[in-house]
Amino acid sequence: MEKVLWKSQQPFPDNFVPADFLSLLKKNPNFRPYTYSSLVLLSTPITQHLASIFIFLSVFVHLKEQSLDPRTLIWLSVACFILGYLLWSFLNQTHDTPHAAINDYLKAFKSSILIFLALMSLSPVLRTLTASTSSDTIWALAAILFILNAILADYSAPSEKELSHGRLIPVLSMNAAVSASVVLASRLATDIAVFGLMLFSIQSFALFPLLRHRLQTSPVAVQASLTACLVMSATWLTLTLSQRLAYMYALVFTSVTFCAPGLLIWAQKYKNELRGPWDVAVPRVN
Amino acid sequence: MQERLSIAMISDFFYPNVGGVENHIYMLSVNLMRKGHKVIVITHSHGDRVGIRWLLPGLKVYYLPFVPIASSATLPNFFTSLPYLRTILLREHIHLIHAHASLSSIGHEGILHAHLMGIRTVFTDHSLFGFEDAASILTNKLLVGTLKNVDAVICVSHTGRENTVLRGQLFERDEITLTLTVRKNVYVIPNALIAEQFKPCPPPPSKTITIVVISRLAYRKGIDLLIATAPRICAAFPNVNFVVGGDGPKLIELLQMREKHRLQDRIELLGPVRHEDVSSVLSRGSIFMNTSLTESFGIAILEAACAGLYVVSTRVGGVPEVLPDDMISFANPDADDIFRAISEAVQIVSLGQHDPFHAHERVKTFYNWTQVATRTEVVYETVITSRQIDLWERMQRTMELGPFAGPIYTIILIVDCMFFLFLEWWMPREDLDYVTHEWHHDKFKQHMEDVKAGAPTTIQEAVDHSTLVTIPELLKQVNTYNSETSFNW
Repeated sequence: MEKVLWKSQQPFPDNFVPADFLSLLKKNPNFRPYTYSSLVLLSTPITQHLASIFIFLSVFVHLKEQSLDPRTLIWLSVACFILGYLLWSFLNQTHDTPHAAINDYLKAFKSSILIFLALMSLSPVLRTLTASTSSDTIWALAAILFILNAILADYSAPSEKELSHGRLIPVLSMNAAVSASVVLASRLATDIAVFGLMLFSIQSFALFPLLRHRLQTSPVAVQASLTACLVMSATWLTLTLSQRLAYMYALVFTSVTFCAPGLLIWAQKYKNELRGPWDVAVPRVN
Repeated sequence: MQERLSIAMISDFFYPNVGGVENHIYMLSVNLMRKGHKVIVITHSHGDRVGIRWLLPGLKVYYLPFVPIASSATLPNFFTSLPYLRTILLREHIHLIHAHASLSSIGHEGILHAHLMGIRTVFTDHSLFGFEDAASILTNKLLVGTLKNVDAVICVSHTGRENTVLRGQLFERDEITLTLTVRKNVYVIPNALIAEQFKPCPPPPSKTITIVVISRLAYRKGIDLLIATAPRICAAFPNVNFVVGGDGPKLIELLQMREKHRLQDRIELLGPVRHEDVSSVLSRGSIFMNTSLTESFGIAILEAACAGLYVVSTRVGGVPEVLPDDMISFANPDADDIFRAISEAVQIVSLGQHDPFHAHERVKTFYNWTQVATRTEVVYETVITSRQIDLWERMQRTMELGPFAGPIYTIILIVDCMFFLFLEWWMPREDLDYVTHEWHHDKFKQHMEDVKAGAPTTIQEAVDHSTLVTIPELLKQVNTYNSETSFNW
């Protein structure tokens, strides 16, 4: 039997099922089994991001409980910024002449001073901005915003184009985190604490993700040690506040890094992709 | 002599909308009526077109007062249509409903309700769907639920059948060998066309070869491929021109291409083309180009071939089944390959190897609606004489849908039964206004002549008592019949 419609007088009834029925059906044609190690490596950006949120939260609680001096936090932030900036410029060596590089450093210095001053002058405003809102609302709001931040963050590895042309920050994600810090800042007692927290928040949610994204192309050892560093500091900072919470964090980290990839590999055996002549063809236009 | 059936076509897609499904339903209904069956159409309302209308030649259409949500499809809600459908199906003494198109929720609901009144069901699938995107996943789930209990399924091409069988899971498990086989009630019956509407005309004496494209200008129709290949073809063949008919989101890109390559005098853009003008547009060219990325049947290709054009098409979906290989050139959906196929077609046409009149005569023998109606009749016959699934088996089959969908659909089924019992009590069958009169075409003709002559007449004798048609409306329908009942795709 030919699979044609134009032969109107076929010797078969219309419900005849030929032997080659569904012969063009392809199951899982593009199936590539994942390997556990590559998935673990790909999950580290998520762990890193969660760890930086947890570090930020514990810093906030320490500030609120006044067990951390805001001045120490500010000096730490500045030191981190300088270290991070040096690393960043080392990774992006695009300038040929030392003159252009110095010009770049000066520009960066100028804008960081501007942000520094703007934050300092705004911190009294930020402290009282949501002061009239009840604390329960603030916690709920901050939790929602941080979840939004974690969901919308960019965990992908940088592409070739991004490496040469820079990249767009996932704006919504960053804004969610900074808004969360603003609402949290209103729970702090002094202006200097607010200033320290905001400075730290910009470091961890605007600048640090850029650096982490850039570091994803670095060797496995660097990524692993960065992740370990962040995870340990998050757990250690929380351990002094609440033991139970620290255990929970450790659980989250292990499940994201080690259990979730295993789950994905297990779920792959249920993959059932059906392809056939009915699919919308992809046009090739050169 | 088989018995005369009362059939209700149910679909969201019907006149005054235009398209392939709409045309199919109309043509099939008319041809079934010619064979002596009684056919009505049930669809949703369009603007102020609510209630009962008649289309020539005596096709009764019920427009139910539902509002479409998107692309003329109504929201699937399973129950609201039951009061309407029950009344209509009972008063019209329907034996069998024939639902069309998998995106038509009113069709699905018809299949769900029909068993309550002992009515048999047939479903025709007109389109291809993938399995990946969210829309497909949701519609496919809905389709599986509906097709579990349908009596027969008709697809318009072999590829379409493979697709529908997979989407609707139309398999049966053999109790002994435990192998899955395709259900016996899935048929392939193609579309057809009225060959007389697409007559070829002698080619113009000039050396110019015109390539005709008539298509909705959308991504799925592969307009990107047209945009990529048209400038190359124009550059390679100075005697080839394009005529492009159709409208859509890709029109702007087409205009930009034409401007960029300064091809204003080579590529003519016609804008939207009405179906009755398609034939005249086709008659201007000698090659028809179709770049669709997916196509279940491809009626446009058939119309072009019937009008004597040589067809070049992408090899997608059911297109390779439509025409014999010597009437069509295939290309992969790839700009280079389409260019190659068009070059071959230009060669064939300029050497005069393609005879339009011979092609027309051949297409005439391939497809006609009478034959489609006969083949559909066979399906109806089989369905009517087969055993009806009882409620318990229906529930068992529905439970096979899966651990989540199964119980949900079963609950819907049971609630539907209870709703039906409530309606039986609330609107008893004895109180229904049953249809006793039918359309008498000759009487109607006589009356129309009288009306035109100015004679006072009562149209009541000619038409069913229950209809809401006024004389001016009937006159309007008669006068606009030719333009209204022909369809675009």
